Amino acid sequence: MKKKGGLLVRKAVDATLTYAILIVVCAIFLFPILWLVLASFSKTGSIYSFKGFFPAQYSFDSFRKLFTDTDMYNYPKWFANTLIVSLGSSVIGTALTILTAYCMSRFRFKSRKAIMKTTLVLGMFPSFMAMTAVYLLMTQFNMINNHFGLILIYSAGAPMGYLTQKGFFDTISYSIDEAARIDGASNAQVFARITMPLAAPMIVYTLLSSFVWPWSDFILPKLLLKNKELYTVAVGLMSLDNTEFSRFAAGAVFIAVPIVIFYFGLSKFLINGLSAGAVKQ
Amino acid sequence: MANISMKHIYKVYPNGTKAVNDFNMKVDDKEFIVFVGPSGCGKSTMLRMIAGLEEISAGELKIGETVVNNMDPKDRDIAMVFQNYALYPHMTIHGNIAFGLQMRRIPQKDERGRVHMRKLPKSEIDRRVREAAEILGITDYLKKKPKEMSGGQRQRVALGRAIVREPKVMLLDEPLSNLDAKLRTQMRAEIVKLHNKLNTTFVYVTHDQVEAMTMGTRIVVMKDGFIQQIDTPRNVYRYPANKFVAGFIGTPQMNFFEGTLMRDGNNVKINFTQAQTEINVPYAAMIKVMPQYLRGDKPVYVGFRAEDISLDPEVVKKSNVNVRIRVSHTEELGNETLIYGSINLADEENADVPANVIVKVAGFREYKVGETYDAALDIRAMHLFDKETEKSILPRVPEYNYVPVTIEKNTLEFLGQKLPIPPAVRCPSGKGEMLLPVSGVMAGEDVKANVIACEEVAGQYLVTLEVGGHNLFMLSDSPVAEGKTGVRIDWKKVILQPDNADPIPGMPLTNKLTGTFAMDKVTDAQGKKTIYSAVLNGKKFSVPEDVAKKMFGAFSGRKVFNTVFDYEWTPYDFKVGRDGIPARVVETLDFGAEKFAVCEVGNATLYVSAEEELSNRVELIPDMQKVSVIEKERDIRIV
Repeated sequence: MKKKGGLLVRKAVDATLTYAILIVVCAIFLFPILWLVLASFSKTGSIYSFKGFFPAQYSFDSFRKLFTDTDMYNYPKWFANTLIVSLGSSVIGTALTILTAYCMSRFRFKSRKAIMKTTLVLGMFPSFMAMTAVYLLMTQFNMINNHFGLILIYSAGAPMGYLTQKGFFDTISYSIDEAARIDGASNAQVFARITMPLAAPMIVYTLLSSFVWPWSDFILPKLLLKNKELYTVAVGLMSLDNTEFSRFAAGAVFIAVPIVIFYFGLSKFLINGLSAGAVKQ
Repeated sequence: MANISMKHIYKVYPNGTKAVNDFNMKVDDKEFIVFVGPSGCGKSTMLRMIAGLEEISAGELKIGETVVNNMDPKDRDIAMVFQNYALYPHMTIHGNIAFGLQMRRIPQKDERGRVHMRKLPKSEIDRRVREAAEILGITDYLKKKPKEMSGGQRQRVALGRAIVREPKVMLLDEPLSNLDAKLRTQMRAEIVKLHNKLNTTFVYVTHDQVEAMTMGTRIVVMKDGFIQQIDTPRNVYRYPANKFVAGFIGTPQMNFFEGTLMRDGNNVKINFTQAQTEINVPYAAMIKVMPQYLRGDKPVYVGFRAEDISLDPEVVKKSNVNVRIRVSHTEELGNETLIYGSINLADEENADVPANVIVKVAGFREYKVGETYDAALDIRAMHLFDKETEKSILPRVPEYNYVPVTIEKNTLEFLGQKLPIPPAVRCPSGKGEMLLPVSGVMAGEDVKANVIACEEVAGQYLVTLEVGGHNLFMLSDSPVAEGKTGVRIDWKKVILQPDNADPIPGMPLTNKLTGTFAMDKVTDAQGKKTIYSAVLNGKKFSVPEDVAKKMFGAFSGRKVFNTVFDYEWTPYDFKVGRDGIPARVVETLDFGAEKFAVCEVGNATLYVSAEEELSNRVELIPDMQKVSVIEKERDIRIV
């Protein structure tokens, strides 16, 4: 009996401790977000008028101004710019990443291992390390103040992180490829008709992750986009005046909307076990 | 519907490992061939090379009449069933089976007579998918996905996917090893039925000797990349070529006892090393055994299958070849009982493996553990293997005849008959032994003989002759009737072993020259041409196109031009003429029926068939159509 009692106490202590840690972590994470959301609903705009956690007066003004008062700060235009850059680099980047990963996973060629390692190491350097070089190159190619220049940099950088995708392709049994090849499919057909459908969860994951990076990136657009009309949201919000803090908060909150929509729209593809039943392990 | 021909096929990995070594085989149309062997023996690699999933390092693979070495799998008209099914999980069963047909393009003529590659019409695909599903009994599942099906059903789908394309050759890579025992037996029968129904060549890979025995029309037993034996299941079981095959085929494993053989008149005494037992066996059962094994000093393995040892008192009483066995444990299987024991009665605890024995007896017989029993050995089913080489020394076709001979000047006393010795055979007078290859005995007039038996072995006939109370074997292409006949000896193959001198070998039948391979671009009246040639002693001999292709096939890039090869010919593949390899004729060998010239070329000695007397210096032109090429470094035969 005594032993059982000891066990119960230990269990209770365990649970308390776990929840305590979770709550603390949660609070640390949620606090700034909550504060930002509250700020976006504040009536007074300036950051200097903020006293305490909760705003003095609530209103939708900042959101309304975001979309109506576009003379000075054209938020809808920035939003559209960001969307173009993100969607473009997401689609092209995903295509490149998937192809790279497929190639590394399925084909054996000379210096494959060397290329794999080099790519991996190169991918570890932060993109802004090459900032000066990128700026010079883009000037030469006349791609300053050009969204395509951004898309190019983002998509070219994406395949560096091919390793997750390669790992996924490695789990799809190679004998399925061989079976398809014997059935008469060419390499491209094997990829399109067999591997792609099986890799749907991975493709969705790649699409999402390569969408998020350009969507929230600040450094590259700041570097390459000089014209206010071409700004992405991140750069645009940065250019807001100090007195426009609630508008900044509203813009920052609204930026999360497409990601949420994307995530929920694509999440039904993010399921495991699509390749179940193919081979006996 | 095609035969497969595999000639000198090798698979060498970049690190030098040879997965398949000199694989030679012809598979006839509609055969069911089973590759069997332990894991890592190269059987799957060979199958994958036939499928085109694995590159062939060297050799020639033909399906039908086409060389397919460099063809894509899809163009080889083969289908394959994988061990792990390899179904397309995102497609329905219908989609899985139809995939191969959807991929296929059939040449069709349009109104203007031009040929287009068209897809098969949907209705036709559907009809054929349903037909295949019907044969395999999976019609009800066509709309399901693979993951909703059981292992047996999935394997059926994999089979359906293969048969729907009506391939020339069906390749099956351990298709049943993922199924449970009961389902396996059932599917085994179904695959055999399917083979009968489809009338297609099947190549089946398995590590399970039961599958090999029950399914194949012929079995290929492999080990470490080498073919051990190719024969029908019955012959592989009854006449295993070596100890490995004997042990691998058949359950329980064959019993091997170490021992020596000693001939004593009409009996041979078998002395078991691990047991203090001797048995006497009539010599008649061992006439094919080479005499050097019958002198009591060469250790051999004596093999008996579990069913060829009897513990039945009735049988034991009648038999005169008995050993005593101590029972260590028994396994009752219902219909039969396996008795495990040892013939080593002295040392109870540490029974040696070579003394262990397994006996198969009828079901539910009482044998007490620890007791000893008399067991009768069935001499007709005895197998003998050399202890070192592990090759059978009781082969179906022996290699040599061993004949005691006496030589006196130019005559040889051969089993009571006097024969003149041709000048080329130089042997001092005296007594000795003659090693006469079975292929060196031919129908002729020189020696009078009696035919006492004639048996068919693998398409040939082994004729047992009686000459002066001695047995002599000869091979014949047609059956030979019993009775009086005459034979002659092919002297160039004879090896003479005088009693007190070194053996005198026969004439070598392969001539070897070392050389390289070269390419030349020449311009003549017809335009530019590329000539490939073998470079032998500084002279170039252009090689036929198929030889050149094989040379290129075995290498990547230009490495072929930097490699040293051994070129080989038989003595009959040389012509004397101009612009050949300069050679010095050292002597002429006269074997009576044939004459050969011994020529020196650099360090090499060539034996060349020469009907006429040759002058001192000649130029030899080798026949490049009949050449064999061996790459020394990897030791692979390319041509």
